[in-house]
Amino acid sequence: MSALDGPFDGAPYGPPPATANLADILERILDKGIVIAGDIKIDLLDIELLTIRLRLFVSSVETAKKAGIDWWETDPALSTRAAESALAQENRELRDRLAQLEGRTARRARVREEA
Amino acid sequence: MTAPTPAAGTEVAGGGSLVCVFAVRDRPGAAALAGTSGHAGGGPLRLLELPGPLWAVVQDVPAADFGEEALRQRLAAPRDLEACARAHHAVVSAAAVGACVVPLPLATLFTDADRAASALDGQRTRFLGVVDRVAGRSEWALKVHVETAPPPRGDSTDAATKAPGSGLAYLDRVRDRQRDRHARQDAAVRAARHVFEAAAAHAADAVHRRPHGVEITGRDRTQILNAALLVDDARVPDLVGAVRALDGAFPGVDLRTDLSGPWVPYSFTGGAGS
Repeated sequence: MSALDGPFDGAPYGPPPATANLADILERILDKGIVIAGDIKIDLLDIELLTIRLRLFVSSVETAKKAGIDWWETDPALSTRAAESALAQENRELRDRLAQLEGRTARRARVREEA
Repeated sequence: MTAPTPAAGTEVAGGGSLVCVFAVRDRPGAAALAGTSGHAGGGPLRLLELPGPLWAVVQDVPAADFGEEALRQRLAAPRDLEACARAHHAVVSAAAVGACVVPLPLATLFTDADRAASALDGQRTRFLGVVDRVAGRSEWALKVHVETAPPPRGDSTDAATKAPGSGLAYLDRVRDRQRDRHARQDAAVRAARHVFEAAAAHAADAVHRRPHGVEITGRDRTQILNAALLVDDARVPDLVGAVRALDGAFPGVDLRTDLSGPWVPYSFTGGAGS
């Protein structure tokens, strides 16, 4: 395959794969290629869990199924839906607090009038 | 293990050896492997001829280091895992020079060369199918990040809380901030999709991968696209041109696009024409 001899040197886009970061290499060599039942078996699932434990990847397997882009959905820091519900809750709490304070002020005013 | 390199096929470092298979290629020519040493402690890399015609890239490795239990422990140690992964990748990349390769998963091990040859021969049809599919093509990695800018000054929760005004004004500010953020996220996702579609138009195939987390990207940017493209060698300049043309093409979105390659087509060798 002549591509690997470098028909295009790729610059200025990214490092050559030989010096690629570990995550790029691991995600390729751990789960790809035809799996041959070797005599020594290392369960690829073990290794997948291992890479997660190593915290190389933080998004969940569930979101990985969603073609890469929809992953914000489940990240509370980024998700529109999650952020909206957080905002709604904050809103509710503030309204409750406001009602409490208004109630207290009104009661004080009444007490003063009666006095 | 720092045992001196034994001759091919001999016992390695006492205690027996196993045969590690890295990849299958469609051409002979061991010269491509000359500059690569494979796994530490193993013998020299060699080619094992299979019917096909195909050649497996193999190495004798010490059973003491590559037996089931030893391997499980070593792969659970980040440093050993990295060493194994890089050694594997180096061999597969070297084997791909001047030939078409089908990479095998990390740590594909057999008790001896005969066992390896017979197991690999059982997959001959699939190997040949993959060779057909990836010949004259290479894999390119496309990643899109957004810069994670700190919130604008004077607009932080802290400042908003201290600012004068009613509770309602505060809520309005929070809502505006959220709306801005959602708009930025939506724009970034749309832009990333646009970049992907522009690149994929020059590819024979494309897959999405799980985006990397902040441990890899760093806190200052968020990866929103991690894709692999299978590209005809002749179309690589088109691909590069298409991606480059979109640099800075999305006003208001601080997008950073990385294209790297050529990779051995790891992501497109998972089966016969899948």
